[in-house]
Amino acid sequence: MEQEKKLTEQESLHLITMMINKAKESYHDTGIGAIMWGAVIAICSLVRLSEVQFGYKLPFDIYLLTLVAIIPQIFISIKEKKERKVKSYDDAYLDYIWLGFGISIFLLIQITNNIFGEWGSWANEYKNVTGKSASFRFSEYVAPLFLMLYGLPTFITGAACKFKPMLWGGIFCWVCCIIAIYTSIKIDLLLTAASAVLAWLVPGVIMEKEYRIYKKEQAQLNV
Amino acid sequence: MFKDLDPILHSQLRLAVMSLLISVKEAEFTFLKEKTNATAGNLSVQIQKLKEAGYIEVIKQFKDNYPQTICKITTPGIIAFEDYVKNLQVYLTQPK
Repeated sequence: MEQEKKLTEQESLHLITMMINKAKESYHDTGIGAIMWGAVIAICSLVRLSEVQFGYKLPFDIYLLTLVAIIPQIFISIKEKKERKVKSYDDAYLDYIWLGFGISIFLLIQITNNIFGEWGSWANEYKNVTGKSASFRFSEYVAPLFLMLYGLPTFITGAACKFKPMLWGGIFCWVCCIIAIYTSIKIDLLLTAASAVLAWLVPGVIMEKEYRIYKKEQAQLNV
Repeated sequence: MFKDLDPILHSQLRLAVMSLLISVKEAEFTFLKEKTNATAGNLSVQIQKLKEAGYIEVIKQFKDNYPQTICKITTPGIIAFEDYVKNLQVYLTQPK
């Protein structure tokens, strides 16, 4: 590009539009984080489902896997930030949204654990007095709460990045949230696994594929 | 009434750099070079001119022991770019 070439008004406008579009196309997520979280949540839900279905219990809580997954996520985030040559305004907001999501999930776990503790003693007392089990089971309503939260950052990310698989993934989480209110815990777990696959794993695989194509194109341009 | 177009912006490479920077929070020199297809020397000179005009901020730092140059558009830069686009629209919509 020549530095001092004088432009006509039409050429200027065309150049501005072209460069703005080039800047927009420059952001490519590797998709690794989405793939990992989609797989982790799906595995946790399916293992818990098998525990409920076949009546066994692992010596540890399978959901601890989500805590372990935070370590590779930190490395993935650092690596992606280092490789990024450009920082968009959306990046900063989306980072905060996903951080807020992580904090909200942590708080929701604390809240539900607390309710389980209180509810358990109340249900036992009810059984002792009436001789019947309580018809209300709080555990049936835990999955919808999580699914509601899963949908929010996924939907926002999909809309902000104009990435339809994630946008629809977020909507799918909310649809599953509504269904899970009326279904048994086994179906709830299946819906959670399906949401994780459709909201994160599948979009992650698509992102990773697009990223590889982008990298290949860049490598060819630089030859 | 036609206003004169800002001479700092009314040049191909400088306008390309400003158009890229208006769309992002910040960008590395290598990113600007890649998107504009300009040579490093040419781009450096034009970036310096934009910096002297106060339209962009240039941050020089080290990343993994390699020098890294980051460019950011400033508030006066955003105002100048918006004025430039408004004036362009006047030129394009009114008969000469």
